[in-house]
Amino acid sequence: MADLVSSRHLRRSLPWLLIVIAALVLPVLLPPFRLNLLGRFLSLGIVALGIDLIWGFTGLLSLGQGIFFALGGYALGMHLQLSALAPGELPEFFGLYGVKALPAFWQPFTSPLFTLLCIWVLPALVAGVLGYLVFRNRIKGVYFSILTQAALLVFFNFFNGQQKLINGTNGLKTDTARLFGELVGSDSMQRNLFWLTVLLVVGAYLLSRWLTRGRFGDALIAIRDDEPRLRFTGYNTTVYKTLVFAVAGAMAGVSGALYTVQSGIVSPQYMAVPFSIEMVIWVAVGGRGTLIGAVLGAVLINYAKSLVSEALPETWLFIQGGLFLLVVTALPDGLVGWWRRGGPGRLASMLGWPPRTATYPQLDLDPAVQAERSELEGGMK
Amino acid sequence: MSHSTAVAPLLQLRGVSVSFDGFWALKDLDLALLPGELRAVIGPNGAGKTTFLDVITGKVRPTRGDVLFRGRSLVGIPEHRIARLGIGRKFQTPRVIENLTVGHNLDLAVKGSHGPLTLLFGRLSAQQRQRVQELLAVVGLERHVAQQAGSLSHGQKQWLEIAMLLAQDPELLLVDEPVAGLSDEETELTGKLLRSLAGDHTVLVIEHDMDFIRELQAPVTVLHEGHVLCEGSMDVVQNDPRVIEVYLGTETEGEFQS
Repeated sequence: MADLVSSRHLRRSLPWLLIVIAALVLPVLLPPFRLNLLGRFLSLGIVALGIDLIWGFTGLLSLGQGIFFALGGYALGMHLQLSALAPGELPEFFGLYGVKALPAFWQPFTSPLFTLLCIWVLPALVAGVLGYLVFRNRIKGVYFSILTQAALLVFFNFFNGQQKLINGTNGLKTDTARLFGELVGSDSMQRNLFWLTVLLVVGAYLLSRWLTRGRFGDALIAIRDDEPRLRFTGYNTTVYKTLVFAVAGAMAGVSGALYTVQSGIVSPQYMAVPFSIEMVIWVAVGGRGTLIGAVLGAVLINYAKSLVSEALPETWLFIQGGLFLLVVTALPDGLVGWWRRGGPGRLASMLGWPPRTATYPQLDLDPAVQAERSELEGGMK
Repeated sequence: MSHSTAVAPLLQLRGVSVSFDGFWALKDLDLALLPGELRAVIGPNGAGKTTFLDVITGKVRPTRGDVLFRGRSLVGIPEHRIARLGIGRKFQTPRVIENLTVGHNLDLAVKGSHGPLTLLFGRLSAQQRQRVQELLAVVGLERHVAQQAGSLSHGQKQWLEIAMLLAQDPELLLVDEPVAGLSDEETELTGKLLRSLAGDHTVLVIEHDMDFIRELQAPVTVLHEGHVLCEGSMDVVQNDPRVIEVYLGTETEGEFQS
């Protein structure tokens, strides 16, 4: 029995443990280029956590998280463009389009404090307003998904067209900017940003866990499973959905800002349609409604993507598509869900190894007993 | 109950009509429920029974007419506010949150603030927790408190939903087919439970099961094609020639179900 308990404990905490160890050891082991990649992918874990909140728990499949991701990136990108300038100077690109004065909305971004707030407050506000309008009108399911994608396209085209305001398609570079007197693109700065990313991923995870445990999280699950029921119980579900969508927007903003400074650029490509769909795939592969799965999915898929792309650039899209198909057909709960529901044991028995049993094998293998046990386990979740 | 005098109806529908693209699901429906009353509503399929509940609970807006609760119009008020005014609804098929435990289902439903801040920062009061325990006992689900609601039997789900309804502590309970799919024993217990609720609460039961309705010993309202055909005790209603004409043709069906 003690064995069972400890193994369940281990199964629950293993993915989490792996991330912590990796975060501690990798800066020493990895060359700066690889560490930088890992930092970028970890920052993507934050936007994935937000998607898990709204999709995995609340049932809102947003295909437009790129909007909020890019907004966070642009907020920080603008600040970095301004931070190294002497008074009266303009960011270089403005010269290309004959812009003589800094546009008014750039002004507040000279303030680091304003920028730090803007990175998450602005996307949260945009998500909140957009969400409120959509949810108030009871738009849900696939219509919600299409609407978010349409909104994404609107933002994408708008940002692409604004050369004179934000350098349009070219985006804003951050590598040559300075932060605390140090070049943003330098190895030591990138290592610090890696640590910051790890910290914020942990923070975002803890926030998500706090939100999804307890009655608030139960209400989100109830909205996902049977929203009218909850409404007739006296819940204003619009408020809940708006709130959680805004939180996911804020997370996307933070994620976008971290990704921007570790990639060296923010551009409208962050609002490209495929990228926002990929975000959803990370969560699906990692495991919906598992939180840790969202982070794992984002990191693993992106790492696989960069490794495959280095070796066989043409094949990645096929592999990604295949992964998605595999998850949809064989692993509906994603990797983490599969792991938690005893997937490894089932796989072993499929390969001919007998599963380890707690009592008599015959009794343990009895389908009725197994069904009852999985019900009980489900109940204790 | 303290809000209403003995004579003023708790719920009153006045000339309520509902049109779905030209099809009149309810036609000029008049109905009044007195506080503490137990009322059964019957009617053949398509008589408008579910639309009738939808109109009261705010899911469907009446095309014409008015719905008054404690003298106040409910038309145009969103569902969650109507629920908070004290109207609880049990659905035809048991609607419980299958991925939550029995206890957590009740924790969500129990009376109190249902705002996000309360749910995030507040805890259930001792009173609320006690209420949940009481209700678990009432519906006999104490042993299943930590079990996922989705793994309950059909009858247990029906009862969990009734318990959730009671947890809201509504003044008016709208109960849609509470005994569909229940065993005889469960049906009898459900009948007892509903009868015991009347008096303190006002209860409106929609059912197909004639034996169950008779057991309730409650006044019966017969709906037909969206309006009230007649009202009275079960015996009176059963001998009404209009009811025999439109309804009893399908009563054999009702008996098959029971």
